[in-house]
Amino acid sequence: MFNYRDPRIDVKTRIKIIFCLMLSAIVLPLVSLYRLQVVDAEKYTLLSDRNRIRLSPLLPKRGRIITSDGKTVAGNNSRYRLIADRCSGKILAENVRLLDACINLSEEDKARIFGSDKNPLIVIKDELSWDEYSRLSMILFRLNGVSVEIAYGRDYKMPLEFCHVLGYVSRSGSNVRTPTGKTGIEAVFNAKLSGETGTVQTEVNAVGKKIRVTDSRDPKDGEDVVLTIDSELQKYVCDLLSREKAGACVVLGIPDGEVLAMVSVPAFDPNLISGRMTRARWEAVIKDPLFPLMNRAVECSYPPGSIFKIIVAFAALSEGIISPNDQIFCSGGVKLDDRVFHCWNRSGHGRMNLRDALKFSCDCYFFETAKKVGIDRIVKYAKKFGFGSETGIELPGENAGLLPSKKWKFLKYGAFWKPYETMIIGIGQGAILATLLQSAVMMGKLYSGDYDFSPTLIRGVSKNRAENPVNRECADIIKKALYRVCTEGTAAGSCHTSYGISGKTGSSQVRQIKTGEAGINSKLIPWKYRDHAFFTGCAPRENPKYVVAVMIEHGGGGASAAAPVARQIFDKLMAK
Amino acid sequence: MKLQKSFPNEFNALFIILFLLLFIGLAGQYSASGGKFEGQTLRHLIKTGIGLVLLGCVYMTDSKFWSSFAYLFYVAVLFFLIIADLSGIVRLGAQRWIDLYFFVFQPSEFMKLALILTLARYYSMLSFFETGELKHHLYPILLVLLPFLLIIKQPDLGTAVLLLCVGVGMILAAGFPLKIFVSFLISCLTICPFGWFFLRDYQKNRILTFLDPDRDPLGTGYHILQSKIAIGSGRVFGKGFLQGTQGSLNFLPEKNTDFIFTTLSEEFGFVGSVSILLLFAGLCGCFLWGAFAAKNKFSRLVCCGLGILVFAHVFVNVSMVTGILPVVGVPLPFLSYGGSSSSTFMISCGLLMSLTKKENRGVIF
Repeated sequence: MFNYRDPRIDVKTRIKIIFCLMLSAIVLPLVSLYRLQVVDAEKYTLLSDRNRIRLSPLLPKRGRIITSDGKTVAGNNSRYRLIADRCSGKILAENVRLLDACINLSEEDKARIFGSDKNPLIVIKDELSWDEYSRLSMILFRLNGVSVEIAYGRDYKMPLEFCHVLGYVSRSGSNVRTPTGKTGIEAVFNAKLSGETGTVQTEVNAVGKKIRVTDSRDPKDGEDVVLTIDSELQKYVCDLLSREKAGACVVLGIPDGEVLAMVSVPAFDPNLISGRMTRARWEAVIKDPLFPLMNRAVECSYPPGSIFKIIVAFAALSEGIISPNDQIFCSGGVKLDDRVFHCWNRSGHGRMNLRDALKFSCDCYFFETAKKVGIDRIVKYAKKFGFGSETGIELPGENAGLLPSKKWKFLKYGAFWKPYETMIIGIGQGAILATLLQSAVMMGKLYSGDYDFSPTLIRGVSKNRAENPVNRECADIIKKALYRVCTEGTAAGSCHTSYGISGKTGSSQVRQIKTGEAGINSKLIPWKYRDHAFFTGCAPRENPKYVVAVMIEHGGGGASAAAPVARQIFDKLMAK
Repeated sequence: MKLQKSFPNEFNALFIILFLLLFIGLAGQYSASGGKFEGQTLRHLIKTGIGLVLLGCVYMTDSKFWSSFAYLFYVAVLFFLIIADLSGIVRLGAQRWIDLYFFVFQPSEFMKLALILTLARYYSMLSFFETGELKHHLYPILLVLLPFLLIIKQPDLGTAVLLLCVGVGMILAAGFPLKIFVSFLISCLTICPFGWFFLRDYQKNRILTFLDPDRDPLGTGYHILQSKIAIGSGRVFGKGFLQGTQGSLNFLPEKNTDFIFTTLSEEFGFVGSVSILLLFAGLCGCFLWGAFAAKNKFSRLVCCGLGILVFAHVFVNVSMVTGILPVVGVPLPFLSYGGSSSSTFMISCGLLMSLTKKENRGVIF
């Protein structure tokens, strides 16, 4: 059927349809805009800020650690650090290519740079040498988003002398930019030494070039820490001990308990650990059989040996179990339940009173005395002198030692305490363990007079003025005997001086002595089976001022190995 | 007054929309060049001025002039297009520009106008009955395909696609049988995947990254991603004039030409973007009004073609910067920097006014 229609109307209708289609099509970009600017606005705002804003830390200077004589033993040195902005993969690749040609990046570095770290700023090289820095400055202008910043590194003066006290810092872990103290004073006072990191917020353009600073907060430098340690003495002690394979020494001041020297050998170099530590270097340190990272003065405990006889004597006197002049006969051994416990002098000391027993360190006397006092009372007095608990010195990882008791044995081994164990404890052997610092503190408590004695490493710490738990009268009797030790007794050979040293030697066995071995020259036994040598003493006789405790690991005997070292330290102290 | 007489009231809406767009364009250029007036912004202003003069000139001409010279115009532009393909200036990897000693121009830009005029002229000679027959549409299809292929060869996918849109739109408006068109469209869509092999590498890449912008955020997807970030971070009310960060810190590519909408969108937010889109919708409305107000078929088809031209530019450009279409270089009318594009649209407006002068007007509905 033929249907006539005016072409004009037809074109108009078609145009109308086309315009309607166009109008409906415009909804598409509108919806897309709505999605971007309203629905996902938060996400894109974040992305836009991440594009252009860089937060970089302003590093504070770590506080120094200073000795009492004003020497900075832990300071800062500045180093140049190369930083790149990872704004665009293309630019970064180009930068790395140029940098590689200039300063030779290792494959490890490259892998790290192109790795998937979320932080847009990346440290390309931590420590630039002068040579590298000067070569770099020639091409720096060609590198977009690459900058050199000055960072501070830890610098230890006298590293071997102070390593155990100061500890070391490391930049590993969550905060890779600021060093964090890992052990020693660095760890304990980390918050004070660290200061506060500032930040600077910069706006960068598409190629990572800094445009302007939008916000900044200045860093706050860390505070200094002043030690009680005297650097000269520390060095002297360290030199003395370094002749030995392993050992430790603590010098304390009376009555404040300030640590004048604390040395442990073997030592490590904290500068190497605090710098860029390689895996091989680190493994060499931790696999060393002598454990150089250990601070032997506080982190290791040993049987105290004869030094502990002071406690037994003191307990017996305080409890009125013996009087100073009561005599006990030493025949070279004590028999108990078919077992013979030998004195170190197998031929016997003969009749011994308290003074002589301490003087010659007679084991029989203390076997008998300990048996009379009993383990409970020995533990009670040992606690008064600070055994069995931490001394509270400002160092991490302090060992509390071990004071065995009936309860402890039952809980640990499910067995009852046996009388012979009390006897062995009486001469400082058996299960009992104490740190070198604890034996020094014991000496301090004995000599400090009316006030309690506790050690500290930090100058100007307000002192604990609690009453001394140690009975003065009994202490005086023991002090007289300890003076005799150094004039007529075991330490007379090395500690007989004009100013008067009072002290006690100690040798602690590391294994049971087999029959027939007693009296053999210790130099003939393999090193690791030799006794630990102890000496703890105090000087001068009038107004005692210093406590020196020396421990030589596997040194042989207290009198032969430890006492001569202590004597030299006392001489040095008295000469000041 | 004389002036009032020569610019009668019925063009008020067109003029308000036009000047608002020009103003926004100027603000966008000012912001995109980092708040500097000299340089880019000044050149844009001068080009806008030249465009307005062109608009005036075109308005003064008689509508008969355009219909009689349409074929000649088409042949001339086609000639330039071939010259551009043979010995044009290569910029940004494409051979689109011709150096005429006093100015450099893109013949493909003028081809849009030439095509509209030619098609309108051709169809104005056909009767309603003739438009119902397929054989009468063969010449127009050739007229569209010839420049389309030449421009694709440059390569300039954006302009080619726009030309195709305008051509198809006009052929349909003129009376192309709808049944045949629909069946052709369906067969095209099935053949489409095979066209993949004829695309250049960068075009393939653009399409791939369009389909998945996160595929390579620092490579080809970078433009889309940064543009989306800029638009999205503008939120509802924008970061404020000259406060945009994506543009000023160079994260945005082509921030004063193809991505000018992004620059504005970041600074004026959702409200600003929608306002710009509404202005363009209004402009299209003006062309629609023109298509109905014009007296003869030639004028009607020209107005319709120009409306499609403006719409296609806006649609493709905004869809491209918001990531719903792949990145093809299509400028935003009146806002993007560029002399050829700006003069094309000024001439379009001039044509609209010239063809719908009082004496050329018929019964609207």
